[in-house]
Amino acid sequence: MLSASLYIIVCSARNRIRVRLRRLREPRYLLGAIVGGAYLYFSFFARMRARRAGDVRRRSGASGPPVLALSALQTTGASLAGVALLAVSALAWVLPFDSGLLDFSPAEIQFLFPAPLTRRALLVHRMLRSQLGLLFGGVIMAIAVPSVSGYARLRAGIAMWVLLSIGKVYFTGVSLARARLASPDRRARRAAWLPVAVIAVDVVAVSRALFSVVLSRPIAGVQDLLTRVGAATSSGVAGILLWPFATIARPFFASGIAAYAGALVLACAVLAAIAAWVLQIDAAFEDAAAMAAERRGAAATSQRTAYRVRRGSVALALRGRPEGLFAWKAATQTLRVVDRAVIARLVAVVTALTVLSATFGRANGLATLVGTFALVATAFLVLMAPQVVRVDLRDDLRHLELLKTWPVQAPAVIRGELLWPAMMLTVASWATLMVAELLAGSTPIGRIGVVWRLSAGAAAAVLAPALVSAQLTIQNAAAVLFPAWVPLGSQRPRGLDAMGQRLIMLGATWLLLLLTVLPGAIVALIAWFGLRLVLGPAAVVPAAACCAAVVAVEVLLATEALGPAYDSLDATAIERTE
Amino acid sequence: MALAVDHFRRTYEGASGAFTAVDDLSFTVGAGEIVGLIGPNGAGKTTTLRSIAGILRPTAGVVRIDDHDIVTDPLEAKRRLAFMPDEPHLFEYLTVAEHLRLVARLYAVDDFERRSTALVDELELNGKEGSLPGELSRGMRQKVVIACGLVRNATTLLFDEPLTGLDPIGIRRMRNTIVARARDGAAILLSSHLLHLVEEVCTRVIIMDRGRKVADGTFEELATRADLVQAGSNLEQIFLHVTGHGS
Repeated sequence: MLSASLYIIVCSARNRIRVRLRRLREPRYLLGAIVGGAYLYFSFFARMRARRAGDVRRRSGASGPPVLALSALQTTGASLAGVALLAVSALAWVLPFDSGLLDFSPAEIQFLFPAPLTRRALLVHRMLRSQLGLLFGGVIMAIAVPSVSGYARLRAGIAMWVLLSIGKVYFTGVSLARARLASPDRRARRAAWLPVAVIAVDVVAVSRALFSVVLSRPIAGVQDLLTRVGAATSSGVAGILLWPFATIARPFFASGIAAYAGALVLACAVLAAIAAWVLQIDAAFEDAAAMAAERRGAAATSQRTAYRVRRGSVALALRGRPEGLFAWKAATQTLRVVDRAVIARLVAVVTALTVLSATFGRANGLATLVGTFALVATAFLVLMAPQVVRVDLRDDLRHLELLKTWPVQAPAVIRGELLWPAMMLTVASWATLMVAELLAGSTPIGRIGVVWRLSAGAAAAVLAPALVSAQLTIQNAAAVLFPAWVPLGSQRPRGLDAMGQRLIMLGATWLLLLLTVLPGAIVALIAWFGLRLVLGPAAVVPAAACCAAVVAVEVLLATEALGPAYDSLDATAIERTE
Repeated sequence: MALAVDHFRRTYEGASGAFTAVDDLSFTVGAGEIVGLIGPNGAGKTTTLRSIAGILRPTAGVVRIDDHDIVTDPLEAKRRLAFMPDEPHLFEYLTVAEHLRLVARLYAVDDFERRSTALVDELELNGKEGSLPGELSRGMRQKVVIACGLVRNATTLLFDEPLTGLDPIGIRRMRNTIVARARDGAAILLSSHLLHLVEEVCTRVIIMDRGRKVADGTFEELATRADLVQAGSNLEQIFLHVTGHGS
């Protein structure tokens, strides 16, 4: 099986490279490749050269700064990273993480499943097959390491490769075991619960150690916090229990070559142990695992996302505007991936955290942390999320053949497609904005006066739907005008050219957003000048409303203008990824 | 005429140049008629059906549904049309019942509940109303697509390989359903490789080969056509003859 696996891996890689090179004959891919290559060069290599030149000029001595920025944490870094890895490992049991290792391709199902191979052989094949992608991740990490030394990059890249491999295999084990937690078979149930128990013991012990050092006396600063946490987690019971997690992280913090080699060997040993665990539980759940793999494989041929019908679905009204139909459809799609109970729990946690921060947290910095996070989250939700959340035409292009047979005006289709993601992101941004406002006194914007702060918050709330809708319109316009540039649904085209295409799209989106907001901003400025003497700082709110109104009109006009383009959009223009 | 296709041509632009899938195709389908559209693989049948349904734009020519041009008056044309493709295309996150409800809203179907219940019975989808497409077999998904097409009062029905994935009972029911719809006055265009089905249910047949119409008429007309007399009396023999595989 090993030779067959290697044959598949080599042939796939060779053919993929061929396809990517061949498609460079098309201008859009060539342009994408040039932009992607230029980005890589100027981001990493050119900067590295400049740093090297600077180093030569400075002629720094042998006792210069450490190679890795993280080396300041050499003593406690591995333990701290181990805590983070433990947290992720524990969360993997609670959140629906999935490694995708069991996502067999349709061809693998067709050829390998009926072949005389054991489940173990299939799993080993998938593990081997995933290595190329993980290696690529390691290489990207190596390039991104803020260091002038090629050796440090190589070290970080290899360490990252091992870390990603461990993650992939571990998440697969969790996926396999999680499905059997409620198994009627006692043996399978016991095998599934054992790792949960181990992780739970680890979490309890490490949490106790952390709480005891954090709460023992007031924290003097970040340095003090790190030192104390590092000390608590590298000794005693917590240190022993955290050893496998710290061992995985240790190659990143090892100083010399011998220490690095030793740390890497131990990390590989952890990888081997986890792989053995996965193979063992796979054997324990032979049937279930085989069924799960087949089910996943079958699902992968038609869809990537697992949808579940949940109780309390909202029925579509039999009469109404077509836009409402699209919003209902997208909302149903979202709520069949994300459980409403999960959303309710998230809201409860955020509310509790906010109340806790507002009442007790101001003294020890929790309010600062939560408030700043809420501010950043608001900015992300308004300025980046519309590009990431794709529950609109970018996803529905997959169903274009169906949509085209519907008797619905094209502008209504486009408006309908925008409606749900715009509502969802706006509500989310309002929620985070509210948290940020409540805790603003402890954040960097706390220096601004209360009236100004509240006015700016209200103005941001007014502007948020306009900015979100404008970006969604731009993204959907791109989907209609340049469908071949838009990845369908959850597809993620790979390669330098695809990266370049994404960068071009990002740049174009930002530029178009600026151009869209500009007329509104001018009107807002005029309104603000007119009202500021009467309303004072609160004048920013009507000014923002003016801007939002102008943007809303632009969005409406844009959806009307895109109608003919949608009508002439041909199903053959949609490209499936390689 | 319920469906009129006039000098229709469809060309695909590819990296290796333009390719004409269908050229100068003209035919009509009247109310109550069941017309079989047959031809070898690559003859242009699916391209024709997809263009009539408004999925692909005709490169040239006109397609009219009840005198509404699919390009210049698409909404009215689409309201009167139901397309049942060979590959069941459904929203993977909507249940069977939700698909039917969605169609009812799109086409403003009166008396939806009664029609929907009757169709679910007719197509043996009972008990599957709450299922997602991913939980259904291919045949069941095909039935859902057909139910979505039949839940409204379309005057023109386009079937592309409607029997794919159906079991023998499903095949028989589907055959009866198609005939019943034609009796109710629907114009039906049915594309299939199953010549016995075409022979059994269709009132007329159009044979396509390499993008062109090579024969059009009732079985009697084709069997007595001067150049086809030698071919034989059944559709298979006629089909093989006109597509150049007679020997």
